[in-house]
Amino acid sequence: MRAAIQALSLLLFTLLFALANYRLPDWLPADIYLRLDPLLGLSAILAGRTWVPRAAWGLVLLVATLLLGRFFCSYVCPLGAILDFLDRPLFGRVKRRTLESDAALRNVKHVVLILFVAAAMAGSSLVYLLDPIALLTRTFTFALFPPFVGLVNLVLDAVRPVAEAMRWMRIATLSYAQPVFYMSLVTFLIFAGIVALGRLVPRFWCRYLCPLGALLSLLSPLGRLRRTVGPECPACGVCQNACPMGAALDEGGTRVAECIQCRTCVAACPQDLVTFPASPHALATGTSERPDLSRRGFLYSVAGGAGLGFAVQQSPFTPLQNKQQLIRPPGALPENEFLTTCIRCGECMKSCLTNTLQPTLWESGLAGLWTPKLDMRFAACEQECNVCGKVCPTQAIRSLDLEEKTHAKLGTAVLKKETCLVWAQDKLCLICDEICPYDAIVFRTIDGFRRPFVIASRCNGCGYCEQRCPVEGDSAVVVVPIGQIRLSTGSYVTEAKKLQLDFKPNPGDDQFILKSEGLRVEPKKHETAGPQAKRPPARPAAKKPKGFLP
Amino acid sequence: MPKDRTGLSRRDFLKTTSTGLAVSFASRSLPVSAAPDYDLAVISGNQAAATRKAVEALGGMSRFVQKGHRVVLKPNMSFASGPERASNTHPAVVHTVAQMCLEAGADEVMIVDNPLQSAELCLRRAGVVEACKGLKNTYVQMFTDRKFYREVKIPQGKVLDRVEVIKEVLDSQVLICLPQAKSHSNTGISMGIKGLMGLIWDRWSFHSRYNINEALADLATVLRPKLTILDATRALTTGGPGGPGEIVKPNLVIAGTDPIAVDSFGVSVAPWYGQQFKGRQVEHLLAASQRGLGKIDVQSLNILRASA
Repeated sequence: MRAAIQALSLLLFTLLFALANYRLPDWLPADIYLRLDPLLGLSAILAGRTWVPRAAWGLVLLVATLLLGRFFCSYVCPLGAILDFLDRPLFGRVKRRTLESDAALRNVKHVVLILFVAAAMAGSSLVYLLDPIALLTRTFTFALFPPFVGLVNLVLDAVRPVAEAMRWMRIATLSYAQPVFYMSLVTFLIFAGIVALGRLVPRFWCRYLCPLGALLSLLSPLGRLRRTVGPECPACGVCQNACPMGAALDEGGTRVAECIQCRTCVAACPQDLVTFPASPHALATGTSERPDLSRRGFLYSVAGGAGLGFAVQQSPFTPLQNKQQLIRPPGALPENEFLTTCIRCGECMKSCLTNTLQPTLWESGLAGLWTPKLDMRFAACEQECNVCGKVCPTQAIRSLDLEEKTHAKLGTAVLKKETCLVWAQDKLCLICDEICPYDAIVFRTIDGFRRPFVIASRCNGCGYCEQRCPVEGDSAVVVVPIGQIRLSTGSYVTEAKKLQLDFKPNPGDDQFILKSEGLRVEPKKHETAGPQAKRPPARPAAKKPKGFLP
Repeated sequence: MPKDRTGLSRRDFLKTTSTGLAVSFASRSLPVSAAPDYDLAVISGNQAAATRKAVEALGGMSRFVQKGHRVVLKPNMSFASGPERASNTHPAVVHTVAQMCLEAGADEVMIVDNPLQSAELCLRRAGVVEACKGLKNTYVQMFTDRKFYREVKIPQGKVLDRVEVIKEVLDSQVLICLPQAKSHSNTGISMGIKGLMGLIWDRWSFHSRYNINEALADLATVLRPKLTILDATRALTTGGPGGPGEIVKPNLVIAGTDPIAVDSFGVSVAPWYGQQFKGRQVEHLLAASQRGLGKIDVQSLNILRASA
């Protein structure tokens, strides 16, 4: 029964993860698990000192925990489900010694929680490091999704000869774009480490480390459902050994805060003495253990967290935050707010249509780990897609309609004349002009050749030019954050209008192509070239416009 | 509105069309069973009807497609935009041709392209998937992975000696090109011959490494469509290949077995970048015709002009 619910929850989590792509309908909250996690919302609100509307969903889980106890961990949490499901196949034959005095270990999760909350109050959102839902979504995105697609493609490749022979063309032509990410391996190793800790004791992560579990355990003793053991209990110890959380104690005692209502003990008890009555008097019965933190320990944790939060910010990255080369997703909050609000779940990067969204490593310091950036040499931002904001659980990337998103200028393309084939080598190339969806690249006559220029007011930084530039190595046209529009509230369209930007796609200005020959301009036709245009033509004059002959 | 212009001479006709306006053509009644002695069929009318009539005028689809054939159609659908932008072939043209292939007994119709934008978005916006939904054994497929391509040699190539082509094209019996008439910032115009670049893997080297016009002519020596049907119902006369740009409406479907002749005629039906050109002035068409791949001077051809 519990395993079935767990499996369903994990399935739902996976399904929503799979559905997070550019086709996501507006009504479907693919990020609902992340929204329900009160710790993520709390941390974002504290660190950003701002209200996060989607964080209100976290109240649902808080209230439910107040009423029912810590059922989330045993029934809903997808990471808990994975740890449970992997426990038997991985560690079923391992003899795990019971950790007798693990009170100190149990407190680690409370210390972790206090550290993160204190850090958030000091202005750094670090909870993403260990929050189970953010961590698992991130693991799915970077570590599990790419190899999964790879595996599917391998199977399809294996089936393909048969499918071709049978003319099953849907299968024969099927192949999925392979997503690739930086930091896949490190993300996987963290996840693998959490699974591996189960070697020591079942649900090691949940017992000792999980900060969400720690938060919920503060509320769960108030829950109505309470483990109760009949007075005839002979203290046989069976339930104590069976309990995955170490919550069952000698002689019918219960660590109420640790109990996740999984009812393993109910099934295990040889005399059927364990029940979970929904008693209004439940509070009065049973034993309860408070988190065993001394005042000193508590203060140390607070101080440590605040210090950590402070230290993370005190680096040149913070004052330089608006001078980074990083291109953030369209609709990303202003950099400082963005870093405090982003919970590094990776959902935006998973759903990105072109795979241009990539996690950062150190590009913006410790405060910026795993935050999304655009890698435009690799892929451009597709103008018909706005999914990254839609799936952002804390709205660090604002959810924008396509019109607004088009005006959320990412940056501006800059031409590097030293490497541009036209500027540096007088070659015929106009790929950037051809691919630009906004006609932001125009040609003007310089030194007897038509040379590309970027019209900054038309460029919204989508990056197609950077991606497609045929120069080997670094692109000769690069999107830099100059002119990026980052708003925490208000309309990007209004802002763009105010700045006199014009992202309406215009008809091409490439008529010149037919009016003269190619990029070269006959000296007598010079109008703008001026006295510098003395350089002898590097190539023999063609007779007529580009692509056409006399 | 269609005006009868019986007695219009071919020369006059060409002059008229060269004004670049949408011209209505004589609607001489013709025996449908006529032997296919037309080199080109130039039909005005709506996309579906004109396409059907153009193919029938050339002898019907059964002249090209026999029972059991696998057919590849190559429309333009490599931009994520709808028919209104005129950078992709109108879906009704593609649908009509696919249907006619099936009527002629084709086993399978594969509609392919190698897109410039996200394959999924292109498929969704170009409208071809939607249009061909009801057709059996018809597949609309973008090939964005190299494993779907196979290298072929180009024995007659001047600048290219080999090229990787979509396998389905090489393994099929019939290739039919369904280009959209549009301007192109690099090659002047983009029609049937230029559209062949949508069947190969590495198109970027055409822009950066080779003389694109010679490379296209080389490519045309190995990729030989049995039929080319040019969608000139709308023509993107500036801002091509992707648009947006100026669009005129010649309202024509031009079909023929000679890909150069179809393109060459297509050049004459609209002003490109505000100027009139002849097929001979398009560098890649001239290069291809010099390889002996078709006739570039359409005056000498037997052309059927009709409306549907």
